[in-house]
Amino acid sequence: MLTRIALSLAALALSLDAAMAQPWTYTDGTGQTITLDTMPERIVASADAAAGLIPLGIRPVGIYADSPIAESKPLQGLDLTGIEIVGQAWGEIDIEKVAALQPDIVIAEYWPLDAGWSGGEAISGPDSPLRALAPITGPAQGESILTLIHDYETLAESLGADLGAPDVVADRAAFETALEDFKAAVAAKPDLSVLAVWAGSDALYVAATAGAAELMDFAGWGLNLITPEVADDRGYWETLSWENADKYQPDLVIVDNRSPATLETAQAQPTWPTIKAVAAGAVADWPAFWLRNYRSYAEALDELTAAIETADEHLVD
Amino acid sequence: MRPGSFRLAGLFLLIGVLAAIAALSLTVGSRPVPFATVWAALTGADSGSTDAMIIWTLRLPRTLIGLTVGAALGLSGALLQGATRNPLADPSILGIHAGASVSIVTGITLFGITSAGVYIWLALAGAGLAMLLVYAIASIGREGPTPIKLALAGAAITAALMSVVSAVLLTSPVTLDQLRFWQVGSLAGRDLAVLTALAPFFALGTILALGLGRVLDGLSMGDDVARGLGQHTGRGRAMAALAAVLLAGAATAAAGPIAFVGLTVPHIARAITGPSYRWILPYSMLLAPMLLLGSDIVGRIVAPPGEVQVGIVTAVIGAPFFIALIRRRKLAEL
Amino acid sequence: MNTAMHSTRQLLQRRLIIRCTLLGAILFIAFCLAMMLGDYPVAPADLLASLLSPLTGQRNPGIDFIVLNVRLPRAILAILSGAAFALSGAIFQALLRNPLASPDIIGISQGASAAAVFCIIILNWSGLLLGFGALGGGLATALAIYLLAWRDGVSPYRIVLIGIAVAAILSAVISYLFTRARISEVQQALGWLVGSLNAASYSQLWPLAAALCLLVPMGIFLARPLKALELGDDMARALGTRVELAHLGLIVVAVALSAFATAAAGPVAFVAFMSAPITKRIMGTGRHHFGAVMLVGAALMTAADLLAQHALPEMQLPVGVVTGLLGAIFLLWLLVTASRTGRI
Repeated sequence: MLTRIALSLAALALSLDAAMAQPWTYTDGTGQTITLDTMPERIVASADAAAGLIPLGIRPVGIYADSPIAESKPLQGLDLTGIEIVGQAWGEIDIEKVAALQPDIVIAEYWPLDAGWSGGEAISGPDSPLRALAPITGPAQGESILTLIHDYETLAESLGADLGAPDVVADRAAFETALEDFKAAVAAKPDLSVLAVWAGSDALYVAATAGAAELMDFAGWGLNLITPEVADDRGYWETLSWENADKYQPDLVIVDNRSPATLETAQAQPTWPTIKAVAAGAVADWPAFWLRNYRSYAEALDELTAAIETADEHLVD
Repeated sequence: MRPGSFRLAGLFLLIGVLAAIAALSLTVGSRPVPFATVWAALTGADSGSTDAMIIWTLRLPRTLIGLTVGAALGLSGALLQGATRNPLADPSILGIHAGASVSIVTGITLFGITSAGVYIWLALAGAGLAMLLVYAIASIGREGPTPIKLALAGAAITAALMSVVSAVLLTSPVTLDQLRFWQVGSLAGRDLAVLTALAPFFALGTILALGLGRVLDGLSMGDDVARGLGQHTGRGRAMAALAAVLLAGAATAAAGPIAFVGLTVPHIARAITGPSYRWILPYSMLLAPMLLLGSDIVGRIVAPPGEVQVGIVTAVIGAPFFIALIRRRKLAEL
Repeated sequence: MNTAMHSTRQLLQRRLIIRCTLLGAILFIAFCLAMMLGDYPVAPADLLASLLSPLTGQRNPGIDFIVLNVRLPRAILAILSGAAFALSGAIFQALLRNPLASPDIIGISQGASAAAVFCIIILNWSGLLLGFGALGGGLATALAIYLLAWRDGVSPYRIVLIGIAVAAILSAVISYLFTRARISEVQQALGWLVGSLNAASYSQLWPLAAALCLLVPMGIFLARPLKALELGDDMARALGTRVELAHLGLIVVAVALSAFATAAAGPVAFVAFMSAPITKRIMGTGRHHFGAVMLVGAALMTAADLLAQHALPEMQLPVGVVTGLLGAIFLLWLLVTASRTGRI
């Protein structure tokens, strides 16, 4: 009996070793397949990618962000101890620090709109020194944050993460619950209309659903998002002067929450309350472009669900 | 008709035109509001509707700010051109805008200042210091601050200060996101509190300016002649510069950097009134708001339902004028 | 009499040679520091080994990467772009007879910048293509300024003033583009606008090196009649120099130098502006020293980049910020120490 256990354990160990020694392949967001001799262990990641991987158990050795870490929305709430921060401004990376980390791979996101990887040309362009250090790969920004998170799960698993770990399972369960609550709240108010905006001191910008992956998710789960008529910036925003702030009348307004200044700017405008939802207090956060993991998605959905539940779907008919 | 009364009549005419443009500014906007509604809102007959609120809280402050900022820019441009005998003097070219930008950006990022009330003081201080620096550098050398030297010194200081601004903005996308709209120069999104806070500066600058007509006339004849007539040229110049900084600094603090108004309006005024600053100053004070509000109105209607900021429109209108001006002037005058 | 003049000239020659050699030495030291300093300090022996490794075949992957892929292209870019900017500035300042006139102030640089911002935000270009866009913008702007300034000939005053006007217009264009773009595009454009040698790569260097090989000899050749031009256009015409042609040729060379350097490194402020006056003060005579100017520009850029990388403990600055600050200090220094009789 004992020998059998010992033998199977040995076989297990051998097969694990064999798995580790096998070449590692991954098909990234641009459709290209990358192959390395062994599974990469030392990872340098962009802030977005790190936000996707860390909660799944993959800890990079270095992170580069496009703003000071304290301002970085995707990384908020994550424990970054022991991770070297190698860049805190757009396009700037300390290549020597990265070289000292001896990375096996760089994981970033591919942005189809920019036809480039996170961080811009200087960091991830075809000639950049970073490419000479390690290959750059990762998932692509698509039309759904949920799909993106699934992509990160696939990537994490191929990097040796245990998706059955209690933390990961708990996060996923929390998300599933939050999603069910969200869908229920939306279904309970079929007449609820929602507007997603960003506020500048000169104009109010209304978001087109197709421009933001999380908005696409919400729409796919039944949320009725108002689509603007006129489209600037390749079809993703409509610019309204503050005189025309009341052009669209939703039952609920969600405001880009990447910076607290946005809501403050909006509240300083005298015509902000001409949007009836604002006057009624139906204003909530829109987690614009920065969600990358189940935990933060669950929190955002819970906030939205609460806002939906207290909103009056017949405020504007 | 004696020239004096001709010019006086012209002033009253201008006041009338300015009032008409102000009325237009209240009536026209990116949101179509019928004139009857505007009238009703102003007289208090209609006080509850959204349209009335827009007239009172958006268009009225915007018009008043446009009038004040325009007058300030026109006056400061005329003062600078008279004091430096430089037909190309303008607050933006002399580093005032860059100075205001640098101090605002520094305030936001280093000291976390977010209240518009404090921006104003920062902008004023920065504008004053920058202009001092420009004037000092241009004064190096035997010939003193010639027009070219002032222009070049202003451009150089502007470049230096703006590189500092860029460096700071690169480290904070959040600040960049807000500031890129201020940089362009706009009358929108400001409320009357801005005017009330800056009123003392506008008032002081205007009073100083209008009293300096005779001094500037003296300076325009050349320092030697002016001294011969008993003027203190240094003091006169300093007073003019002080008034100009007060006015232009306050204008930049209120509306952001708006180029070309202070430059082009005094020339238009001079074309109407002749070379005497006693008339150029009040005419500039009336013509400039006409240009500014006119540009603002154009900006409101060319890109519905959005707007184009007034700083862009004045650049588009003013720049060709500036170039035509340079091409026309005889070099000897420079 | 003849021998006295002859030996004075010899003395002057010797002094110039000594000072040029000194400048060369300063540049060399700056270059070595740029190669040795960093998170990975590289000892001189290792540095030499790495530099020679393509020939000797002895490779040390860690150090070779740092030296050959990161620091060497960056240092070369600093030297080449610094030299190009400096020469361009020297030619402009000589032609326009004003030490405050330089391509980064009179609109050429802004033209390249506006074109680049347009390419980044509207056309979504990057890399080498972006460089060419910037180049085209600079050349087009220079042409526009020249045409606008043309009125029975071109005078330095008009070029300077129209250049400043054009610079102001282009700044407005850039500000406008910034308000119409997404924040990531604005960041990218702003990063380019400040001027940075970060992520320098060999592919950026070839166009610039080729341009320098062509333009520097052209510039030196065309500058020979410059002495005559210095005396004023009328005198020069009387002496038989083809004033307009020489002007034109030199302007083209200067603009092309500025545009190529901007395309490679971004519009790094003030190197063009500072180099010639500094060179004049070092060399001590009023003549133009195009060779020395290039050394000064290269040294300035290399030193500024060193400061940009290592001055702050946590952060790397873009080189354009350091040169901007140096430019401001330089202006103040002019203020304090300029002789009262000096022309400016």
